[in-house]
Amino acid sequence: MSQVPAPEPGAPPAPIADYGLLGDTRTAALVSSTGAIDWMCVPRFDGASLFGRLVGGPEAGTYRIGPAGPAEVVERRYRQHTATLRTTWVVGDRRLTLTEGMVAEVVGRLLPSTLLVRRLTAEGGPIEAVVDFDPRLGPGHRAPRVRHRRSLLVCEWGAVAVSLACAPGSTLVPGQPTRVTVSPDRPLTLVLATAHREPLIEVEPDAAWELLCADEAHWRTWIAEVDPELPFRDAVTRSLLTLRLLTYSPSQAPVAAPTSSLPEQLGGGRNWDYRYVWPRDASIGVAAFLGVGKPDQARGFLAWLLRASRLQRPRLPALFTLNGLRVPAERQLDGWTGYAGSTPVRIGNDAANQHQLDGYGWVVDAVWVYVQAGHRLDAETWRAVRGFADVVIRRWREPDAGIWELRQSSHQVHSKLMGWLALDRALGIAKTHPLSGRQQRRWQAARQAIAVDVRTNGFDPERSSYVRNYGSAELDAALLVLPLLGIEDAGSPRVAGTIDAIRTELGAGGPLLYRYPPGHDGLPGSEGAFLPCSFWLVQALASTGRRAEAVELFQALLDRASPLGLYAEEMDPVTGAHLGNYPQTLTHATLVQAALAIRSAPSG
Amino acid sequence: MDWAGWALFGVVATATLTAAMITAQLAGLTRVDLPLILGTMVTGDPDRARVAGFGIHLLTGQGFALGYTAVFALLGRATWWLGALLGVLHVGIALTVLLPLLPGVHPRMASARAGPSSTAVLEPPGLLALNYGVQTPAVTVAVHILYGTVLGLLLQAR
Repeated sequence: MSQVPAPEPGAPPAPIADYGLLGDTRTAALVSSTGAIDWMCVPRFDGASLFGRLVGGPEAGTYRIGPAGPAEVVERRYRQHTATLRTTWVVGDRRLTLTEGMVAEVVGRLLPSTLLVRRLTAEGGPIEAVVDFDPRLGPGHRAPRVRHRRSLLVCEWGAVAVSLACAPGSTLVPGQPTRVTVSPDRPLTLVLATAHREPLIEVEPDAAWELLCADEAHWRTWIAEVDPELPFRDAVTRSLLTLRLLTYSPSQAPVAAPTSSLPEQLGGGRNWDYRYVWPRDASIGVAAFLGVGKPDQARGFLAWLLRASRLQRPRLPALFTLNGLRVPAERQLDGWTGYAGSTPVRIGNDAANQHQLDGYGWVVDAVWVYVQAGHRLDAETWRAVRGFADVVIRRWREPDAGIWELRQSSHQVHSKLMGWLALDRALGIAKTHPLSGRQQRRWQAARQAIAVDVRTNGFDPERSSYVRNYGSAELDAALLVLPLLGIEDAGSPRVAGTIDAIRTELGAGGPLLYRYPPGHDGLPGSEGAFLPCSFWLVQALASTGRRAEAVELFQALLDRASPLGLYAEEMDPVTGAHLGNYPQTLTHATLVQAALAIRSAPSG
Repeated sequence: MDWAGWALFGVVATATLTAAMITAQLAGLTRVDLPLILGTMVTGDPDRARVAGFGIHLLTGQGFALGYTAVFALLGRATWWLGALLGVLHVGIALTVLLPLLPGVHPRMASARAGPSSTAVLEPPGLLALNYGVQTPAVTVAVHILYGTVLGLLLQAR
């Protein structure tokens, strides 16, 4: 073993799409094709960063294992239907393969809650590899108190501790890259375990490897339960697996993304913390998981939605923490360099205080889909839905921040439409659940009033299209959900006109769409094309009889996935680079819904 | 030992605690729903669980009331403030020991280590039951002090 020099501090970051996701449904790590884990929080998604170089610069810590010298990546993929990632490099005439993953199933066994297993294997002869383990905790990049216990490296920061076991044994020092030789007959296995307010649990590397292999079997079984007739099944199951990895199992809350402050514009300031849960994402997830034959997952999302909203009911906050609590106020991290110099880096999220009318529509629609699938609501759930519908009645005339969380409220057509949807779906649920006649009449009247209002003030007859805001000529790609709502007949000219106008005016090239005219949101700078909107377009086309166009568009979007089948929130229309937090629950959920819409659309 | 007082006032104190807890829940102070948490140990139907859980809670409260009554008997007096002090002790044990242990025995409660195969839908309470809202510890302390105070007052009156 020998020490190797640290990488250049000013080296450009890997593209966002270069990163793969490792996860255990409690936290996640992002690993680049160089074998560097540049993002991971402990003990859960929204915890303190342990490796933060992705947005924090070299001082924020990393954990790299890979070839010590120049090498070419020749293969990188998830093992089929699992969350285990394999990266193979060629070094001369030899090959070095890194196989890595987190053990998700730890309940009922004496195992740490986070167990990250990484194994290097060599083919063709011995290969020099490097281990660079440099954990730094939290916003202050705190270095650990380090001790060695037999062959175990232990790093401590008070309530948090991590251990690194290595087989064959070697002396690793945090922050000092170490060379190791990997031989074909002696793979190198490293096991990272974390502890939070509990003792560390030591797991032998070989035992940890067995656990990871057993976990793969769980994932394969999980995928085998997904509808075998799904179109584009490989891409859809990768999205489903990603959605599951981003669902915090202890509360069943789907985190919007495991990262904070990956930029929507390189070098720009649109950098937000997405390690929280949006009811909208959970609602879309309910329909997606029900549609692919995963009712337990859908039930989990719904249960989380109802629990989380309990404290502030009937008001529905825009987002929650993983446990359904108030999201911390937004703050900027000093000394964090940002991804590709994109500052500020933020933690917390101020969108939590916004009034977003559309949220009620998403949630009530999810409950309606659940009822349509043959499930009955318990009394409390139905009471909650009635409360949401009553809020819509009281507040639909107010301006709101809407789905795009604009910092300036306005009368957004999409929000009004989703308000209409909330009442329509609540009335639909009331057909099989008790509701007083008086309340039913109030809902019906309000639903009619919204329809009249939005058709009068939110529709441009000249373009035959709904518009972004009352009195505005701009368009909003969120309106692509229009054919799914039922306020207009899916075959009506108004629906077709809206779809075509959005495609023409918000088109960003190829299958991409801007969510609204770029930069027209009161924030400095611009942004990329918004990927969920493209999947909504697929859904809209499929549900209005344009299946062939939908399939073509969907395929074009699949071609733009990261090499590992993952999607960020946005994409640079010129370079095709993924932008924004990654991987993104909303994008993957809309991908699944788009595939389901294609499945449901009559062919020919 | 005042057996008749225990039998009657234990029920009264537990019902008072439950009512106060439900009031706090409806007021948006906490997401703790004791009847649901206890009832889902025996059934997965939330509506039935609340009914079963209310019964289980009454029985549990009666068990704790036995401890309070025994302490009053040992000390030779029952007062509201002694009941309140016992309430503080009781809630301290509940928040730091009993609730955090619940995921280990509750068949439908996830633990902080739950994984993808977990179909449990009740979230774990976490330290001091903070997962159910930041005001949960304060509410829980208040209702247990109320429980002890009611027991002390009623047994004192005999």
